[in-house]
Amino acid sequence: MSKPVLQLENLNKTFTLGKREINAVVNLNLTIYAGEFVAIMGPSGSGKTTLLNLIGCIDKPTNGKVFLDGIDVGQMRENQLYKIRRDKMGFVFQTFNLLPYLNARENVELPMEGKIKSKTERKKRASELLAMVGLSGRENHRPQRLSAGEQQRVAIARALANNPAFILADEPTGNLDSQNKQEIIKLLANLNLTQGTTIIMVTHDSQAANHTERMLLLKDGKIIKEKEGLHLAMKNNKCPNCGGSIKSTDQVCPICKKPLITSEEPFSA
Amino acid sequence: MGRTFTRQVTEYTIEGIPLTSELVDNYPVLTTNITSGRNLQAGDSNVVLLSENNSAYFDKTVGDTVTILGQDFTVVGIHGTNSVSDRLTLYMNLSDAQSLTNNTGYITSFRIFTTSSDVVSTVAGTISSMHSELTVSTPQERMTQLQQLQSSYTAALTSAENSINSTQTTAFEEIVVVVAATSLIVLFVMLYTVRERTKEIGTLKAIGFSNKTVMGQFMLEGILLSIIAGVVGIAIGVIAAPTISSLLLPSVSGNLFGGTGAIIRAGVAQTTTASVNIDLVLLAFGASIALGAIGSLYPAWRAAKIRPAEAMKYE
Repeated sequence: MSKPVLQLENLNKTFTLGKREINAVVNLNLTIYAGEFVAIMGPSGSGKTTLLNLIGCIDKPTNGKVFLDGIDVGQMRENQLYKIRRDKMGFVFQTFNLLPYLNARENVELPMEGKIKSKTERKKRASELLAMVGLSGRENHRPQRLSAGEQQRVAIARALANNPAFILADEPTGNLDSQNKQEIIKLLANLNLTQGTTIIMVTHDSQAANHTERMLLLKDGKIIKEKEGLHLAMKNNKCPNCGGSIKSTDQVCPICKKPLITSEEPFSA
Repeated sequence: MGRTFTRQVTEYTIEGIPLTSELVDNYPVLTTNITSGRNLQAGDSNVVLLSENNSAYFDKTVGDTVTILGQDFTVVGIHGTNSVSDRLTLYMNLSDAQSLTNNTGYITSFRIFTTSSDVVSTVAGTISSMHSELTVSTPQERMTQLQQLQSSYTAALTSAENSINSTQTTAFEEIVVVVAATSLIVLFVMLYTVRERTKEIGTLKAIGFSNKTVMGQFMLEGILLSIIAGVVGIAIGVIAAPTISSLLLPSVSGNLFGGTGAIIRAGVAQTTTASVNIDLVLLAFGASIALGAIGSLYPAWRAAKIRPAEAMKYE
């Protein structure tokens, strides 16, 4: 087994609202290994956002431990945490969050500013990353001249800037039309397949979730169900339905003709 | 700019004195302060006593012959200056002066000597009432006139000085107001900017910017904003200062009249002009940096305190 990039041990997070205590995350244990593509699902109020904030070092746990790449970050102070956020993870947001007055390449360069001194090196790496997400030749475009899907690609390239242990994606397809949604899902899946990028994705979107290899269902601050996604079979180049041999670029299984992209609700019933 | 000084000077004034031994021996009709040669004396004719200015003007000295209005005179002496009125006066026998200027039989003024200074004003009053066509002036009156002139000139200077001082005070108050207003404007603009860009700042922090970097970024932005404003302000100041200052600052002017014969008439006018010098430009530039820094300190601190979770908020 590859090494764990994220370990949550007996994680609890309690908010106090007046006299009421809200247990957003309750005794949660989770280990995610390098190279995994994981979806965290759950209805509103299930603790998804709190969990995301805890993983992203934005919030501190009430108790329990958070290990990122083997480092206990649970009680770290802000003047150390920014480095963890910069070096260990890459954020992808629902609303892309590109800086409007910077072009695509400059947006990708941003996280590298505190880390890579040489501007030429930063430029070079940003261009490479943009090429990796399929945006070569659009380096000098500002966000408003890019489509929603392209903006999210830039954001993914930015998330990869400092070679993070994992990408933390918050509803990455939530603001996209179905065409762009599929492209972003495929891009993430491809990055996972070809670059071995670990991806943790919080999502409502069944189609996106089905394309991960591991789906977790969160309810009342606990993981209540776990399921394999289509991506695991795709990783092994096998059709998840008939077990027939497929290519990673196939949209439909060449043997059983069943679609390899599905919007089926994974945790229905 | 600064000072202008104009003066109009007559070349010389001829004063004729009746040189009879009765007058010369008994009354102080002759000028004093002879610097070379001798004074006029009773019975002198076809001779002149030049002032030092006359001597220079004619380029003649004691013993020389000088031609005045086409007639030759011998220079017997040169007198120094006793008052503003006699700098340009050359003295000669009254009958010489009358014939020289075709005024035989006429005089333009006469002096009356009293035995006691106590009766001067009584005598002057009596003469005035008897001969209303005469202008009577006594030494006291002349003194009073000069004093009035002096005090009015002093008053003009004082009021000009006061208005410059009050302008300076007003300017200082205005500077204080401007400094406070500038800092406040920078403060509010930057606070607004920080609020508008909460999500952007949250994003920057989520992707690994430190509090320090974020704070520095916003300080820099505030300072740059202020510097741009400063440069524009300096440019406007350099171009508009002369016009504005002439509208705002008082101009100082005064006139000095000297002597009853208006021998010297000097007009003094002084205008005050503000101009922009390099020190002022540097000061303004430094001030804009300082004000930008002061004004953006709190907003930058607020920016640094924004949580990365703000990046997740969906508008």
